[in-house]
Amino acid sequence: MPVFKTPFSGYAVRFSPFYEGRLLVATSQNFGILGNGRLHVLDLLPSPGAPGISEVAAFDTADGVYDCCWSESHDSLAVSAVADGSLKLWDASLPPSANPVRSFREHSREAHSVDWNPVRRDSFLSASWDDSLKLWTLDRPASLRTFREHSYCVYSVSWSPRHADVFASASGDRTVRVWDVREPVSTLVIPAHDHEILSCDWNKYDECCLATASVDKTIRVWDIRATRAPLANLAGHGYAVRRIRFSPHRESVLLSCSYDMTVCMWDYRAEDALIARYDHHTEFAVGIDMSVLVEGLIASTGWDEVVYVWQHGTDPRA
Amino acid sequence: MANDSQNSASEMAKIVDDGGHEVKGETADEPSSKPIHVIREPVRDEQVLNAVKFLSHPKVRGSPVIYRRSFLEKKGLTKEEIDEAFRRVPDPPSSVAAVEPTTTNQAVQEKSSGTLQPQVANQVSQQTPFASATTSLRQSRFHWSMALFVVGLAASGAGTAVLFKKKIVPKLKAWIRKVVAEENDLKFNKISKSNIAEEAAEAAKAAASAAAAVAIASQELLNAKNEERKYFEAFTRMLDVQVEEMKSMGNAIRKLEITRREFSEDKGIQEYMQSQSWKGTTNNPWRTNQVKQATSNFNSGSKHLEVNGSPDMDSGIAKPLTTPASVEPPHPKSYMEIIEMIQRGEKPPNIKPWEVTQQAEQRLSYGRHSQANGQGLNSEVRETNSQPNGSHSNGSEPWWRKKTIKISEVEPESEEQFYDAMRGNASPMKRGWVPPQPPTLLLPEAADAIRQLKPSIQKQQSVDETLTVGSSNGEDLDAKASDSTIEPEMSGSTGMDFSQAKDQEREVSVEIN
Repeated sequence: MPVFKTPFSGYAVRFSPFYEGRLLVATSQNFGILGNGRLHVLDLLPSPGAPGISEVAAFDTADGVYDCCWSESHDSLAVSAVADGSLKLWDASLPPSANPVRSFREHSREAHSVDWNPVRRDSFLSASWDDSLKLWTLDRPASLRTFREHSYCVYSVSWSPRHADVFASASGDRTVRVWDVREPVSTLVIPAHDHEILSCDWNKYDECCLATASVDKTIRVWDIRATRAPLANLAGHGYAVRRIRFSPHRESVLLSCSYDMTVCMWDYRAEDALIARYDHHTEFAVGIDMSVLVEGLIASTGWDEVVYVWQHGTDPRA
Repeated sequence: MANDSQNSASEMAKIVDDGGHEVKGETADEPSSKPIHVIREPVRDEQVLNAVKFLSHPKVRGSPVIYRRSFLEKKGLTKEEIDEAFRRVPDPPSSVAAVEPTTTNQAVQEKSSGTLQPQVANQVSQQTPFASATTSLRQSRFHWSMALFVVGLAASGAGTAVLFKKKIVPKLKAWIRKVVAEENDLKFNKISKSNIAEEAAEAAKAAASAAAAVAIASQELLNAKNEERKYFEAFTRMLDVQVEEMKSMGNAIRKLEITRREFSEDKGIQEYMQSQSWKGTTNNPWRTNQVKQATSNFNSGSKHLEVNGSPDMDSGIAKPLTTPASVEPPHPKSYMEIIEMIQRGEKPPNIKPWEVTQQAEQRLSYGRHSQANGQGLNSEVRETNSQPNGSHSNGSEPWWRKKTIKISEVEPESEEQFYDAMRGNASPMKRGWVPPQPPTLLLPEAADAIRQLKPSIQKQQSVDETLTVGSSNGEDLDAKASDSTIEPEMSGSTGMDFSQAKDQEREVSVEIN
């Protein structure tokens, strides 16, 4: 299984929605504390005999890159959330000198997460540590909307795959909020955990199903229609769960990565929820993604400066 | 010659007399000794007679008086006796001769008593009758030769005795002792040899145990040192952390004051503040806040202090977060090093002061592309696949393609239809924010209003919107761009909420800018 070594600590990884073998990797120097950042565009080499990953392009930033996402509208566009609070738009088809194509600078603190609207495909959201979320579109240099309700850093934002205007945000104030872009205030507030919530993601098949991952080492799966109690409480990580992703292929399967250096796959409807555990990382595992185009293809990255891409069920280090 | 012999004889006699004195004391058997003992002090006639005899000797007569006197004194005569003898000397020696046999006998006895050995005394006593038979002259000579002989014998005997006593006996004793000692030594040697072996073994054991003890002691010392060092290091680390906390606290307090002032001025935001407890350090500039947020999850022992700190402090640092895990996830070593470096004020190396140049060429076509390509996206996905992915492709359809699943209508091709169906209205061709009914909608009226907006009103309002927004941003936008934008504020007919949102955004943008 191919491994790519990044010069800086990995923070996020995303499969391209256009190309099966294309990845985006967000990295930050010095674990993201202080220093530069780099966004890698990688390609998985096709040769079956010698699987490898090659770098198509790399873009440097003045500050660390915490998250990245591909545009759903253009196959070469990508957005990165940079630690200086700006969002940078990159075009992989252009040379590095012409990049970044855009820079959206409105957040007063670090931008921690970006997500592109998969339904409308023309807008994206950014979550920041200044307690706000902002809605952007490509041709507007200013944000369209700011959502300020959280009382602490917003760690993650995720568009609903089903409804074009609905998204969820996870914050350090221990709540998850479901928003509708058309509404002035959040639609739903779920006090999902007793500790900071680091990630949230929608079930790709169940429009009312939302999962949250928290510092309390658990992942909770919620039905937004009945939020008194979670549908499932997945425990098994040794430390805080950093990111979760629902599988685009299997309804109740989700992937998570944690500071215990493992990447776990869960089936929240199963009796024994943990399906698989991969402990190939030697440092905090902070970025994961499941490929939409290839079933079972998983990518992960961590502070050990490597990116692994492997098929579920196989050993990532093989 | 005669004098010499006389002298020697006198000397010998003296010696004998000396010895005889001793013998006299010792041998109580001799009857003559007793009376001499008793009669010593008063004038002893026998002595006087002897002295007279001595003095009447022609040879003695020839010697000086002093010698005679000293001789007699040495004999043990008292002064009176000596005087008496000197008085009598001119007296006829017959009386002396008459008393001779007894006196000679006594003298001989005297002399003989000087001998150590009774044998000599016997010999002398035997010889005395012979001596008495002879003439006076011959007697004296005979006496002297006899005396000489006896003395010689005595001397030899004494000498041998003395010799024997002094030299041979000790030698014998020494020899015996030596033998005994040798025997003892032998025994000792045997014992000592075995002892030595045992002692050597014991010594070796003792040495080994001593060495072991020393080794153990030294190792313990080392361990103790190591432990001490560890404690010291831990201690210094704690101290560093404390210092770091203090610095950040100071910073945070300063910022808190600033932000509080700002927040108090901004009313619009306050309305949306749902919980005051979390209010706080939104503007902590320092990345350590990130670190602390991120690492407060880790519940490191040092961060515990700040987590459990006083709640009136900067909530960014002292969040009342009781972290769930009591175990700290192991940080990378260099991570802590970098944090420490930063706390010290140093920058980690290799940071490029990279200034990203913002490309001002607005690729406005992006927006249109999204419209234009919206239909053709599907074709792009599979067909424009410039990356052959033989090894990894399983050929499965993307999740948003699957027709067996509920959300199959999300397919872009059918997307438009979907929207149209939901809208129930013939809206303009632009893909705006006119959405289908969401599951949880608080303000259904708003949704209806959105759907039912007329294009003209929309455009007008959009222009207004863009103008207001643009003025705040200092930009001019063209209507087309505004049309393609996704602005919920466009539908401002419901008024209050959206204008509020508008205001909020303006305020926010103003604040930020």
